[in-house]
Amino acid sequence: MNFEDPDMDTGRLTRRIRQNQSRRNQGESQMAVSIRDLHKRYGDTEVLKGIDMEVKPGEVISIIGPSGAGKSTLLRCINALETPTSGTINVYGIDISDPKTNIDKLREHVGMVFQHFNLFPNMSVADNIMLAPHMLHKTPKEDARQQALDLLETVGLQEKADARPTDLSGGQQQRVAIARALAMHPDIMLFDEATSALDPEMVGDVLEVIRSLAEGGMTMILVTHEMAFAREVSSRVIFTDAGIIEEEGTPEQIFGHPQSPRLQSFLSKVL
Amino acid sequence: MIAKHVRQGWTSGPGRWAMGLLALVLGLSALIVAPLATPAQAAQDSPAAQAVHGRTFRVATDTTFAPFEFRDSSGDLVGIDMDLIRKIADIEGFSVQIQSLGFNAALQALNSQQADVVIAGMTITDQRKQVYDFTDPYFDSGVQMAIAKDNDQIHSYKDLRGSVVAVKTGSEGEAFAKQRAPQYGFSVKAVDQSSTMYEMVKSGNAQAVIDDYPVLAYGIAQGNGLKTVTKKEPGASYGAAVRKGENKEFVAAFNEGLAKMKADGSYKKLVDSYVGNSNSDKKTSASRPGFFELVRQAFPSLMLGLRNTLAITAISFVIALAIGIILGLWRISPNRILSWIARIYVAVFRGTPVLVWAFFFYLGVPQLIGHRISIWLAGALTLSLNSGAYLVEIVRGAIDSVDVGQMEGARSLGLTRRMALRRVILPQAVRIAMPSIINQLVIMLKDSSLLLAIGFGELLYQAQQIYAANFRVTETLFMVGVIYFVAISALTWMANMLDRRLHQ
Ligand SMILES: Nc1ncnc2c1ncn2[C@@H]1O[C@H](COP(=O)(O)OP(=O)(O)OP(=O)(O)O)[C@@H](O)[C@H]1O
Ligand SMILES: [Mg+2]
Repeated sequence: MNFEDPDMDTGRLTRRIRQNQSRRNQGESQMAVSIRDLHKRYGDTEVLKGIDMEVKPGEVISIIGPSGAGKSTLLRCINALETPTSGTINVYGIDISDPKTNIDKLREHVGMVFQHFNLFPNMSVADNIMLAPHMLHKTPKEDARQQALDLLETVGLQEKADARPTDLSGGQQQRVAIARALAMHPDIMLFDEATSALDPEMVGDVLEVIRSLAEGGMTMILVTHEMAFAREVSSRVIFTDAGIIEEEGTPEQIFGHPQSPRLQSFLSKVL
Repeated sequence: MIAKHVRQGWTSGPGRWAMGLLALVLGLSALIVAPLATPAQAAQDSPAAQAVHGRTFRVATDTTFAPFEFRDSSGDLVGIDMDLIRKIADIEGFSVQIQSLGFNAALQALNSQQADVVIAGMTITDQRKQVYDFTDPYFDSGVQMAIAKDNDQIHSYKDLRGSVVAVKTGSEGEAFAKQRAPQYGFSVKAVDQSSTMYEMVKSGNAQAVIDDYPVLAYGIAQGNGLKTVTKKEPGASYGAAVRKGENKEFVAAFNEGLAKMKADGSYKKLVDSYVGNSNSDKKTSASRPGFFELVRQAFPSLMLGLRNTLAITAISFVIALAIGIILGLWRISPNRILSWIARIYVAVFRGTPVLVWAFFFYLGVPQLIGHRISIWLAGALTLSLNSGAYLVEIVRGAIDSVDVGQMEGARSLGLTRRMALRRVILPQAVRIAMPSIINQLVIMLKDSSLLLAIGFGELLYQAQQIYAANFRVTETLFMVGVIYFVAISALTWMANMLDRRLHQ
């Protein structure tokens, strides 16, 4: 990653994010995520062809669209797992493509949950959750563990604290992954098809956890194929196709009164 | 091994003449001196003896050059050189302190005043006489042919037409054989060790050997399964050496003692006890020991060899592992320079044989830096840099095979690349790489035997020293094979246990 800047005053970034958040509370409009004319190309193929998008704090955005539309790429640009070819991305007012931005520090504020969980098999469930707080926030081991146990309780897995991730079912692993992301107290959570790799009977438990996060006011961007769930929890739904945002609106507008033929044909296939 | 080549390579005709002349001069002077000293004084009170009386000389010698110096079954240093110098010291009333160093090391010790005398089956040559003073020659060497005991076809060089004759690389025997080969129509095959030559004849890969007469005669006396049918060809003579212009008293006393031993017949008796072809009075081959006796005799030095093998492997492995992990990380680093350093290192050490590096570090580097390098350091550098190159690739491959999602998962939490590597990626990579790492350890243990080429006292080297003295090649190699097998099996078992323990 070219954007690492270990010398940056890490406290400053955190302070700015908090400041920006409190400004929001005072009624000023500050975007959680603000994307301008985002392009991403891999060699000759342009995957994102000019995305403009804004997410207000507390919003739950669902991104839907056909396979290959660029949904994952868009999400991964937001926490700099991918580097945009052009365009700007601001997270709580901080330009993430500015070389002076400490990307590692920024990522502490942006939690991400992956389709395949990406838990660390070389450590226990509790250690997976404790690792980042202990290493980055210097949280003492005992406090970090207590926090891990509390988080596990909220996702219903307290008794699995000392299990190996590989000994858990897919649904359990994904709930641990969510707890791990939450342990850093992120200001926004990104979910990339969090339930796509799960057996159908496991999906409910994971969606339940996400739903309760939404109810708790967490800012979230979900890439999902679960249309019913998207309709239920989202404040806004974005339909992407072939690297552009084809249509966006409330769940009611997108699912009840789709305008573009592409969205109509997409919905007719998935619903 | 190398020592012998150097020694034999230096043999030259003119040297023999000069040496003969020297002998004549010294002999005459002894004749002149002796009448003056006698009859009033007893032998030990001769001027030569008086000059050395009560003194101690530090004598450096080779490790194993049977029958001149080698260790007998009880581990004592014996041989013609050893018996001779002790006997002469006795007669002349001085004492000796013997250091068994290896041929080149003995000469170095002499040059650097660490030793006063070298006696090591050393050929008297013109070149050497410019640097050293020699005693009277105490042994006339030369080369001789031998054939298998049960061969009744070959009676002379003429019968060698179409045969293969084994010789030792760089030896006088090789020069002799090559010179006669066209005339008699045989081909010459050069190998590194006397024992190998004898085994070739016994196994039918060669029909005859031509080797230094004393070595050959001793081997036959030891029952190496060969016999001689032709006479010895006259050749070089051996003398003891001192630094030029120094320790003249020693040379005089040695010469006097030697002359006395020749006169009273004890010299002939001593030499015959090693190379005599009659059954009379054979000091070391009274009976051919059985296998278990052989094991008992070889055990201490084989265990020493095993200890050295394990020690150099352990030291080198730790270094190699550090190299493997550090340069493995450089290899995948976004920093181009580090990545290229690792690439070049791997390419160089994978693209060159281990032996080249062994010679380079032990013999080449000291000449570049003007400082000698210990054999342990040279050995450890050789093994660890070679294995390190393979470990870099093993580590890189293992890191590559860790799911990219692991790195993304760690980075998405805000961990730096370095933290992610250390806490998440490397532990998984090491687990993946463990079987390959253990495999590399085993390869390294086996490769350590190559260090015998620079004279490192590891297991196979000790075995060679043993069969260079007793000619029991097959049995000794069998023992070594068993020891390697047991050591490697035990090591593999332990490593696997540890691996499983660590990852439960
Ligand atoms: N690292 C990469 N190199 C080259 N092409 C890539 C890379 N990552 C993604 N792509 C391509 O970019 C396009 C969009 O990929 P992306 O993963 O963003 O799609 P998606 O909308 O998430 O699809 P899905 O619903 O299948 O997950 C695809 O055609 C994919 O092949
Ligand atoms: Mg995707």
